Amino acid sequence: MPPATHPEIVVQALDLSKQIDGRAVLQEVSLEVLAGRFVVVIGANGAGKSTLLKILATLMRPNSGELRLFGRPVRGDGSPLRARIGLISHQSMLYRELSACENLVFFGRLYGVRNPRERALELLEMVGLADRADDAVKTFSRGMTQRAAIARALVHEPDLLLADEPFAGLDVPSVDRLQVILARLQASGKTIILSHHDVDQSLRMGQQAIVLRQGRVVVDRCTRKLDSATVLREMVTA
Amino acid sequence: MSRVIRQIAILTLKDLRIEARGRQTLGLVAVLGVLIIAVLGLGLNRQVGGVDATAILWVAYLFAGVLSFEKTMAVEREDAALAGLLMAPVDRGVLYVAKLLSNLALMAALAAVITPVAILFFGFDLSAAPLGFAAVMAISMVGFAAVGTLFAAATASTRLQGGLLAMLVFPISLPLVIASTQLLVSMFRDGEPLGGLALGVLVAFDAVFLVVSWLVFECVLEP
Amino acid sequence: MPKPGNLATVAYWLVALAALGAAAAMLAFYTPTEQTMGPIQKIFYLHMPAAVNTLLCGAVVFVASLGFLWRRNLWWDDLASAAATVAVLLGLIVLATGMIWAHQAWGVWWTWSPRLTFTLILWLLYVVYVLVRPAIESRDRRALVCAVYGLVAFLDVPLVYLSARLIPQDIHPASIGLDGSMKLTLAVWFVPVTLIACGLVAARYRRNRRERIDEASRAGQGGAGMGG
Repeated sequence: MPPATHPEIVVQALDLSKQIDGRAVLQEVSLEVLAGRFVVVIGANGAGKSTLLKILATLMRPNSGELRLFGRPVRGDGSPLRARIGLISHQSMLYRELSACENLVFFGRLYGVRNPRERALELLEMVGLADRADDAVKTFSRGMTQRAAIARALVHEPDLLLADEPFAGLDVPSVDRLQVILARLQASGKTIILSHHDVDQSLRMGQQAIVLRQGRVVVDRCTRKLDSATVLREMVTA
Repeated sequence: MSRVIRQIAILTLKDLRIEARGRQTLGLVAVLGVLIIAVLGLGLNRQVGGVDATAILWVAYLFAGVLSFEKTMAVEREDAALAGLLMAPVDRGVLYVAKLLSNLALMAALAAVITPVAILFFGFDLSAAPLGFAAVMAISMVGFAAVGTLFAAATASTRLQGGLLAMLVFPISLPLVIASTQLLVSMFRDGEPLGGLALGVLVAFDAVFLVVSWLVFECVLEP
Repeated sequence: MPKPGNLATVAYWLVALAALGAAAAMLAFYTPTEQTMGPIQKIFYLHMPAAVNTLLCGAVVFVASLGFLWRRNLWWDDLASAAATVAVLLGLIVLATGMIWAHQAWGVWWTWSPRLTFTLILWLLYVVYVLVRPAIESRDRRALVCAVYGLVAFLDVPLVYLSARLIPQDIHPASIGLDGSMKLTLAVWFVPVTLIACGLVAARYRRNRRERIDEASRAGQGGAGMGG
């Protein structure tokens, strides 16, 4: 039932299927995400979370099924829609030899951002890396690298942020810092779809939870109506 | 159009800046090239005439070249930087041209180191047609890099069994080796001007594989 | 109980081998011996059709590679792989017969003549195709890399041919004229060689396809992967 105020449907997927090397990684995955929501995707290793996020990011094409982003079908290249999507994963997607600022200016220029240097410094300020702006990314800790990666993903002001296991390998203070940044982004109206292995944290962070098991959606509900035990059970039951 | 040129410039300069910072690739590749020439020189153990010098140069360029193509692509694979590029509104063909230009810059730097060394070791006399020599090698390098850039991207994500890229690129590049060698022989030994069927083969190779690689590049990129 | 498919296959191979027998008989009893070279010259009647079929196999690899890049359906990859394997086999026959010919005509087992050089490089191009396959673990990736290579390799063939012709000749092979009966023999020899080549490609294709489907069902996920 569409809500009375008709918020935009940012992601609409119908029966997405993907096989990789003969193995069915995603099977008939359908989901709908409204603007401004914080969606967590939960699942065991190999459940298909990464693949789903890559397909939503238009980096991978599904073998079958339909995907609509911002109301438009993703066909062929999907290029114009990418300007509204930002992606972070457990890999930083940054160039180690370059400084944080140089990385952001580089991506900013590619996206055609006006005043890329200003924007870079603004973003680094936001993620708390302003004092390390000119240091090479290879000198950063893992937590700092992830924060720089978020800055990179936001350089073009996307409306949808996709995050594939962004907390992997982070220590507790870094996880907290990252969560604060994400919460602030959501508060500013961005839609966030994030995959995570920690069930408790996920249910606390997100508003909507999608649980994947062996490539299928087994749960798609508001987090308020879910508890960890239920989710854990759904993740593993065959 | 200008946006495309701007993007190519941004991408290529990024590669060159990374290379300048790390200084890994060029050093490694240049030293490898010099070592290959030294081995061949010592192994041949005789006065090497002009004709043999081109073979020696080619062996050095092929091996060192393949190594540099692998490394410029590895930069993108590290930390999945390529995914970041693919998310940006950049045409995949633009990514190809930029990577090709980066590879050509590396090859040119490599040639600048290796060629004088070869001339020094073997006394190869270029005075008859120095520009012709440079032109032949340049045209050959473009063809080699065109194919090398494509296959380096194709094999970048595979669990690399050593020599995979070399295996793919060497046989395809043999027409370049043959044609350039024959052309240099005719230029230096016979005093012929730059031209003929050999030059036609080189130019045709470049034209065909620049276009095909550019078109197919999109298919081989993996997030 | 033999399936109709198997019966057709057996019949096909009987015809192919009968044609080979007939062609060999023709060679022994009908075709005149060439004056300058003697009986060894008759190896040419195998060499030429084998060479043409090697190129045809390369063309099949090219088309199948294009098909895969366009459709991403793995049976194109099965076909390309089959054709490449047969190209390697035929190419070896062309090389061997070419070398025997060279030894008879010029006294050396190898020379960088345009024909031998072209044959060697052509063979190497497809040897690489076959050897590269097991080096790539991911099935999807393997198909993709090989498709790109199959495409590029065939486009390279005319360039290889032209560049081989640039190599200067120390030994000038006299071109041997063929009279009417020789031309007929050559034409006849195309039949069994082409039949065998096609049969081998088809057999290899079916084997590739079966192996792929078996592997997929063993992985327990069902289906034939990306189609088949």
